[in-house]
Amino acid sequence: MNAIVVLVIGALGIGLGYGWYARRIDRDIVQPDPKKATPAKMYMDGVDFTPASRNVLFGYQFKSIAALGPIGGPIVAAQWGWLPALLWIILGTFFIGWVQDYASIIVPMRSEGDTFGALSYKLISPRARSILLIFIYLYLLLIMGAFGQVIGVLFLSKPAVPFGILSVILMGLLAGQMTYKWKQDIILTTVITVVVAFFGIWLGQTGFISGIFEGLNNALGAGGVKIFWPIVTMIICYLGAVLPIWRWAQPTNYVSFWIIALGMLGGVIGMIIWHPSFGDFPAFTGWSVAGLGPLWPILFVTIACGAISGWHSLVSSSGTARQIEKETDALPVGGGAMFMEMALGVISLLTATAATGGWDAFKEVYASGKFGVFAVGLAAFLSHIGIPTSFGVPYGMVFLTIMGLTIMYLVVRFMRVASAEFLGDTIPALKNIHVGAIVALILSLIVIWTGVWQTIWVLFGGANQMMASLALLIVTLWLMSQGKKYAWTLWPGVFMYVTTIAALGYTGIKALMAAFAGTKVTGNIIAGVVALALIACALILGYDGGKALMRKGEAVPAK
Amino acid sequence: MEIPKRIRDKIRHAAHTAGEIFYGMTIFDWLRGLRQQRGEIERLFVLITFGDIVGLPILPPYYSLRLLPYVIPSLNRWKRSLLRERDLTDLAQLIEGVD
Repeated sequence: MNAIVVLVIGALGIGLGYGWYARRIDRDIVQPDPKKATPAKMYMDGVDFTPASRNVLFGYQFKSIAALGPIGGPIVAAQWGWLPALLWIILGTFFIGWVQDYASIIVPMRSEGDTFGALSYKLISPRARSILLIFIYLYLLLIMGAFGQVIGVLFLSKPAVPFGILSVILMGLLAGQMTYKWKQDIILTTVITVVVAFFGIWLGQTGFISGIFEGLNNALGAGGVKIFWPIVTMIICYLGAVLPIWRWAQPTNYVSFWIIALGMLGGVIGMIIWHPSFGDFPAFTGWSVAGLGPLWPILFVTIACGAISGWHSLVSSSGTARQIEKETDALPVGGGAMFMEMALGVISLLTATAATGGWDAFKEVYASGKFGVFAVGLAAFLSHIGIPTSFGVPYGMVFLTIMGLTIMYLVVRFMRVASAEFLGDTIPALKNIHVGAIVALILSLIVIWTGVWQTIWVLFGGANQMMASLALLIVTLWLMSQGKKYAWTLWPGVFMYVTTIAALGYTGIKALMAAFAGTKVTGNIIAGVVALALIACALILGYDGGKALMRKGEAVPAK
Repeated sequence: MEIPKRIRDKIRHAAHTAGEIFYGMTIFDWLRGLRQQRGEIERLFVLITFGDIVGLPILPPYYSLRLLPYVIPSLNRWKRSLLRERDLTDLAQLIEGVD
């Protein structure tokens, strides 16, 4: 198999999925009316509701949904062989992913701009909203654990990486200062900060600078490195979570965008020029993978984003749906961005399969650093546009680290608000931003230090997919209440629900058994308890959802 | 050789679309954040001057009558925006690029 053939298959999936299936659903079932006033226009308040052009929203939606998920999932799932991963990315997006993202814009747009929290309260049950919030909190904690281990333990401990990260963050701070305080032109700001950040990444991998960090790592020892760098990661997250958003998070994300976008662009061009074959990379390695589990259900939660992701429904309903100018814009924005994310997932799969140089090379790189596969693959692609691998690999690692970090401090920001809201009245100290952030960071550190990465990743996917099945349930109930056909959301929702419960059950039991056998006791107990909590929430949700479906089914004849 | 107008228009349209998408991916969020900040300050200003409309026990300041004509057109939107029920899922949009 050749990389170009896979790209063509992906393009066909997008053409058929978006051009035929999605358009048909949009035209025949949802029937958007471009003349109907959307919440963005009706309730324009300059805060939450503001109309924006569909092209701008497409860019905004894509940037909001695409990050490490579609990159990490396919790399882990490649262990079953490239074919199951590729099929799930394409078919998952075709039948489920775009459906959820598109419907998550349509339903709030036709429900006065309500978010999924309010919709689950109204359409399912009051406790459905509380369950959604539990899913969100656990999901975010698992993100901190999964990304924190990769960034803190694996990437930042590489001597060529920390200086590059420091450069990007410092340039982010400079970008904020130049824009907000010195009132400088955005183009000048961008050129200066991005060029200096790239220079810093290059400087970081030179012998002198990387030697300093190597010396530090040697002084710390193997155990010390695993404690020190996650703490550094948490300090960065702390600053990002408590400083004003204009000072840290926004400008750092902006500079990071350039680092990431230019890397992706270079990688795709390099891949097209090189168009490597998969070599001896197997299409299918077997029904079960050691350490992960059976293909069904684990593959379907391992690749969450890139095929279907529940988080998209929250972002779409609270952000994008309130900015849609015309109802007809929902498909290109929601559906279009999801198909673009599918393309990102396919490219990530290619970095793991075609770019690493075969099965043995993949296994070797994966064993030494999970997402490091992407850095090595990206460096191989970039080498075909003249960028040396000695720079490409650290650049790929900085690329992934900064991609994860920019998310992590926003997650901590969210977690401290959530803990203040939930427990602020009982424990007033949590209302203090520093206390709330430190509590979130300590919980994250516990997961990072004690957890088994593959287990955390599967649970992270499970929490995410459970939110997806909740979103699809809400959409189904809404379609039923409107007297519209609903099979296109009901059956994907049922599939995701059953698959996710099976995946969480398998992973939870496996983690608890490992704990009882004395392997990584704390981490495995935490994983097992989180899995059981998610299953319990899912069962309550299934019960309430089933009752709501029957209520609506009695009121409206089935279609 | 001159490019036909039809093709020129198409190129211009494609460039405009690409520019908008690019804007959406880069600084749209910054501007949106600033707009939101301004909107929130305005919302609070209307609250402290016309809070009695929504039952807030304030003594209306003497200049509120002079401001009334400017506030009337957006009064319903302001009331809805202020009184709308919110929960944590409203904040999900803040965490971009999680997955």
